Amino acid sequence: MWWKALSVLLIIYAVVAGMLVPLKPGIIYLTPETAKTGKGPLRFQFHGYNSYYTKAESKAIRVWLQYDETQAILGQELTILNDTTLEASFYTPSMLPRESPSVMLNAIIDHPSDGVSLLPSAVELRADTAMFTTPVLDGGIDTMAFMDAVTGEYVFSRLSAKDWRQNPVENLHIVKDISFPYRNVIYESIRNTYYHVPMWFALMFMFLASVVYSVKYLRSQDGDDDRKAVAFTEAGLLFGIMGLVTGMLWAHYAWGAAWSNDIKQLMTAVALLIYLAYFILRASFDEPEKGARLAAVYNIFAFASLIPLLYIVPRMFASLHPGATGSPAFGSQDLDNTMRMVFYPSIIGFTLLGVWIAQLRYRYLKLRDKVLGIY
Amino acid sequence: MKFLKTFRFFILILFLTIHLPIVQAQGNRDFMRETGKINVVVGVILLIFLGIIWYLVRLDRKLTKLEYQLNDEKK
Repeated sequence: MWWKALSVLLIIYAVVAGMLVPLKPGIIYLTPETAKTGKGPLRFQFHGYNSYYTKAESKAIRVWLQYDETQAILGQELTILNDTTLEASFYTPSMLPRESPSVMLNAIIDHPSDGVSLLPSAVELRADTAMFTTPVLDGGIDTMAFMDAVTGEYVFSRLSAKDWRQNPVENLHIVKDISFPYRNVIYESIRNTYYHVPMWFALMFMFLASVVYSVKYLRSQDGDDDRKAVAFTEAGLLFGIMGLVTGMLWAHYAWGAAWSNDIKQLMTAVALLIYLAYFILRASFDEPEKGARLAAVYNIFAFASLIPLLYIVPRMFASLHPGATGSPAFGSQDLDNTMRMVFYPSIIGFTLLGVWIAQLRYRYLKLRDKVLGIY
Repeated sequence: MKFLKTFRFFILILFLTIHLPIVQAQGNRDFMRETGKINVVVGVILLIFLGIIWYLVRLDRKLTKLEYQLNDEKK
């Protein structure tokens, strides 16, 4: 059958493309991670991931430590150490952009061929409390002097407080190429989107088909419809277990624990148990027809509870799981266009594989019932 | 205990993932966390593959049983 071949082709495509397309360049971390303002330039090392810093001259690369959209410090005296490391000096104003002991700053690199990379909350910048906060000598826009409270010496700072606004992050290079987005913490495991998420799509399609056949069975009393409903439920449950287990593996390395009693995990487990009970209910009747009729009614209720358990309740509580707002698989927050080119074929591939599995199961059930002489 | 028997494979996997040590310090990376956690993706693909194989083995056994029944009837 053509759709069986298609399912295999799409899954092979999803595995190959999903594994081989590189991630966009990113920043893993900065050293040092904390610094104090004021005393001369601060030298930071940027450690990149998948980056090719040497492909451009150091003049063409710009780096920032950014507080918000308008406030940032531009890095000076940039040196490229290798493809994944570069260094820059930051003349930090002695005053922080906000009146507080410390602020978290984002690190941004703009590279002509790599494009923009950002690391949120990369550096903690602390205000130097040992210094006078008022300038004792104002040398214009460029130079300001502060008296060090401990040594009594004058310390020169090239920028003053207002200079947080002098070099806002702008004129960035937007590079369009075939690559997946770089996300902090999950890194390469963003590729799990093509294998873990389609499990749940396949599960939805399987359970939908199963409830359709259950309704059909209640109307027609045709054993074939019941067997199809069983086959689709079982395929759906298989995808549910695989989705839950792969999700736990991913969660172990992204959230820190395989099972953190997250609302999404809990509700999914409840939904799967409800469907597991479907088979127990069927098996507990001596007369197969009676069991089939009750199981069909139960299936309708199970499907009706599946929607709130998977899609409504998890959105009402705080969850670590992404996609709690908007439309998870179709929104722009978690997916970009390159990811869609792998994600959607993967969904179709795994769904067709599910239909194939269900079909095998249905053919087995039909044969079995014929041998056993059941309707 | 039929449940435990049927799902022993998945229970084993669960325990394997739960008991792996959690190392979060930077630079101190284990096999699953090196090179951008790519091995987590390999693990996920393997789990899906094993899940499908597990289902196939189950179906295979059921078919074998059915074949025996058919052969018995013919005799």
